[in-house]
Amino acid sequence: MIRLLRRSAAQARYLLIGSFVLLFGFQLIIVGQAEEIQRTQAFGRVAELMPAFLQRGLGSRAMLLATFRGTVAFGYFHPVVCLIVAVMAMYFTTEPAHEIESGLVDLELSRAVPRSRLLTRSVLLSEVAVATAAALMGAGTLLGARLFNAGGMDLPTLGVRARLLANLFAVGSCFGGYGLLIAAWSRRWMTAFTTAALTAVVLYLVDFLAIGWRAMRVAAWLSPFHYYKALSIIAGDAPVGRDIAILFGAGSVFACAAYWRFGRRDL
Amino acid sequence: MTGAPAAIRTDGLTKYYGPVIGVEDLSLDVAAGEVYGFLGANGAGKTTTIRLLVDLLRPSRGRALVLGVDCQRDSLAARRLIGYLPGDLPIYPDLTAADYLVYLSTLDSRPVSQAHLRRLFDRFDVSEVDRRRRLRDQSHGMKQKIGIIQALMAQPPVVILDEPTAGLDPLMVQAFRDTVAELKAEGRTTVFLSSHVLSEVETMCDRIGLIRGGRIVTTGTIEDLKRDATRRVVITFSSPAAPASPLPTGATLRTAGVAEWVIDMRGPLGPLVQALAGLPVQDVVVEPFKLEDYIAPFYAEGADASRGLTGRSNQ
Repeated sequence: MIRLLRRSAAQARYLLIGSFVLLFGFQLIIVGQAEEIQRTQAFGRVAELMPAFLQRGLGSRAMLLATFRGTVAFGYFHPVVCLIVAVMAMYFTTEPAHEIESGLVDLELSRAVPRSRLLTRSVLLSEVAVATAAALMGAGTLLGARLFNAGGMDLPTLGVRARLLANLFAVGSCFGGYGLLIAAWSRRWMTAFTTAALTAVVLYLVDFLAIGWRAMRVAAWLSPFHYYKALSIIAGDAPVGRDIAILFGAGSVFACAAYWRFGRRDL
Repeated sequence: MTGAPAAIRTDGLTKYYGPVIGVEDLSLDVAAGEVYGFLGANGAGKTTTIRLLVDLLRPSRGRALVLGVDCQRDSLAARRLIGYLPGDLPIYPDLTAADYLVYLSTLDSRPVSQAHLRRLFDRFDVSEVDRRRRLRDQSHGMKQKIGIIQALMAQPPVVILDEPTAGLDPLMVQAFRDTVAELKAEGRTTVFLSSHVLSEVETMCDRIGLIRGGRIVTTGTIEDLKRDATRRVVITFSSPAAPASPLPTGATLRTAGVAEWVIDMRGPLGPLVQALAGLPVQDVVVEPFKLEDYIAPFYAEGADASRGLTGRSNQ
């Protein structure tokens, strides 16, 4: 297993490093920006610039985004961050489709290696990558606060940051499970990965549109992003445990279906 | 046979890809220590059979066993007995040849004797420099040699090779033949290889099986095939010869000139020689058996089937 993990990580090292740098740097930048807005006392103008549909849809919580605390926390649920985490998770869990397409599965599974081990390897790598990304994001916020002398400002508490990152990790795990399921049915990596990534984008849009469009609210229940209620976490009234349980539960169902399918299919 | 399990056995092995036959009711036995050549046109079902043996494909029905171990039910145990070279060798382009072999050898922890590995490197002329180069920078032939080595390095009792000499230069083809001959002499390893190079199969294999449209159409030792094959006999006369008394069974007179007859003969030559007694025979030339001549008609007949035009039979 260690060999398989190391090989996959080595193959994806540039993507991993790139994603980590991006997510870490993003937190630095957003803390710097929040500090700048705070220093120039421009949060009032930020509130004025907020689209009306967001204000209507999110209610008073929308105003959290126009605070130093909310802006820094936004770095943990910005669309770019959410999609990078989801896509990174699926990049790893769709690897079995790449192994089938390239024929590498012939070499690996002509040896006494259980089929399930390839999936377990991908799940582990995906989880480790997302967890590392989350940890680096947390570290990015701390470094940003130090670099921009924002320590005395109203940073989100450690508990809020931890809950946001835990929820983001759960979103990544859910998408990881979904990617694994797609890969277990595919012969082509590009098909599997593109399908999974596009699904993530569509589901993000569905959840976003549901803020201001009532008809979308039913469909939004299907989106993992629906179970990442960041503003409620910042406000301190979110059922984080329930949302995380739903996300892990869905991811586990996807993963179980993937194991079942991969164990029976032609490779 | 002494009751020991066949090294490779398939019973009614069948694989359908939707309406198309991959293989159908394939039953074959390969004895332990045997070198078995598996022949067939492109798409005839060779690779499907091989991938069923290593459990990369799941059969529609029937079963395959390696040394008595079911390839599907007890897949891990069966695969532990196999060394496999795929038809298109997949590589990790960023790995060196040495790292590639280490990676593959540690996947299932089968011990690899360093002395054996060195012998393989020497035999296939894979130098230290070659082993340190990344696979993406290696020639096709070098990759194929590395592929053969990875299949043989753990000294498995059953080696399954899908077109092993594709891309090898003549010297390396000879090295491969020598390796197979050595394995045969040692008697511990069964080699199952698919190939299009008939001369190679003829030289190396104890037995061959010919597959067409997913079904075995003929199987036997080279000697069996020789006996079964039609040989061309050219008889030259020193003076004009009248047509002989009825030709023996198995003989077909193709051309009967004044001074030369051409006869296609199937079976032993004795009766023909007897029939020629009393005729002014100056010379008799029997064209040597060539596997190509024997196999070619099967390939031609199988062309349609091999293009996937064969539908599933109603069962």
